[in-house]
Formats: sequence, structure tokens, C-alpha cells
Amino acid sequence: MLKEKLKNAIVGIAGLGGLGSNVAIALARTGIGKLIIVDFDKVEPSNLNRQQYFMDQIGKPKVDCMIENLRRINPDVKVEGLQVKLTSDNIPEIFSEANVIAECFDKADAKQMIVETVLGKMKKCVIVSVSGLAGYGKSNAIQTRRISERLILVGDNESGIDSVKILTAARVAIAANHQANAIVEIIADGEIWKS
Amino acid sequence: MEKLKINGVEKEFSVEQFPANLAELLRYLNIEAATVVAEVDGRIIERENFATTKLSEGQSIELVRFVPGG
Repeated sequence: MLKEKLKNAIVGIAGLGGLGSNVAIALARTGIGKLIIVDFDKVEPSNLNRQQYFMDQIGKPKVDCMIENLRRINPDVKVEGLQVKLTSDNIPEIFSEANVIAECFDKADAKQMIVETVLGKMKKCVIVSVSGLAGYGKSNAIQTRRISERLILVGDNESGIDSVKILTAARVAIAANHQANAIVEIIADGEIWKS
Repeated sequence: MEKLKINGVEKEFSVEQFPANLAELLRYLNIEAATVVAEVDGRIIERENFATTKLSEGQSIELVRFVPGG
């Protein structure tokens, strides 16, 4: 039953950096039916300290690399990849099929933009966003909170890269897996199927 | 005194202090508008409308603030 629900679910992943690359892999291993993954960037050497790519993928588009990595992990998951910059204009169309969207951006104003867009324009879609994951340690300060019916927020709400200055693989992955876990829960408990 | 409920906590303002709109409230709270998603009485307010969204006594406001990193 759970397997069936997961297989019927479509999840959008906005950004494929430290958060998005980890969320994508966790959801692929969990057996989500379809992932829509979006990022405009290419893999850089500095990404490898926390993002799920490999040395030989440096210089290639993140979307192409993640499609390849996900296929090697679980070829049964359908993956639609787009190498574009997400905006409030194209988000509703690109993610129109998605039941849930994972906000996996880096910049605060981009996080603001996608959450506002999904809550304002995509009435059937849940968004799982992140605020506060920089630094190391303090694992238990990272929490998953339901802000409103369609907004779930992960993070410690204060550790920004602007103030804390460092992102570490383990703490970023903790936040990413909070996100993935919240998404699995939403799908398993069937909230998204009600409407 | 006039009240607003901000993220579940009641806050009192004197009549002169009471923020006329959402943008004014954020300035009062020292929060940068570009990093905030706001709901007033459960309705999402787009950032471009913060300055034109008038506030009135008794309203319930949810402010979700984003810090960078991902």
C-alpha cells in the first residue's frame, strides 16, 4: 500500500545543490514514482564537500549528472530534468504535475520567491522548505515544523551561511533528509490525495 | 492599545505606533522584506503587495523568515 502510494507520487525538486542532491537520492531510494529535478548550474569542485556528485562530473550540468546518478541507484524512478532558472512565472508550469515540492535553493530571496509562488498560485501543492542549516554540530536544533496546511519548514531558523560562513556535509544532509522524510510522510498519510 | 497576533504571540501597539501596513510592520520588527513569506489571517500576501496591505487591530499574521544556505 505504501509502496503503491510512493509509486503514484510526483515530487518536484527545486535546486540540486547540497539539499536537492541529497533529497533526490533519498526519494529515489524510497521509490517515489517520478521526480522533476531543476537546476541551472554546473558541478564545481567546491560543491563536492556536501553535494552528491563525483569528481568526474565536474563541469557538467547538475541536472544531467543527477539523472545519471539516480538511474544508477534506482532505474525504476522516472526522472524529468530541466536545466533552467526557476522564476515565479515558470514554477507553476514546470511543477504543475507535482504533489509536493522540495525547496532546495541557497539564497534567502529565492526561498522566499518559491514559497510565495507555491502557496499563492499552486493551490494543490505542498512545499517543504529549509531555513537554517549552516555550520556543524547541533543536530537536534534542526527541526521539521508544519507552518500551515501547505507549508512545512525544516531547519534551525537561524544558522544562515551569511552569519555562520560554513556549510558541512553532515548538517546539510540532516536538513535534506528531514525534507525527504517529511515528503514521504505527506505521501504516506495521504494528505495530498484528498483534494 | 491595539493588538496584532504575530506568529501566534499577541503584540500590543499604541495607536500612534500601530503599523499602517505590512511593510511598516516588517520595518518595525527589523526584518528584511525580501526574505519573508507573509500570511495575514491565513491569506498569503505577495511581497510586492506588502506596502499596500493595510493592517487592522486583531489580525493574525504569520511571518516565515528565510536565512541563506542549501
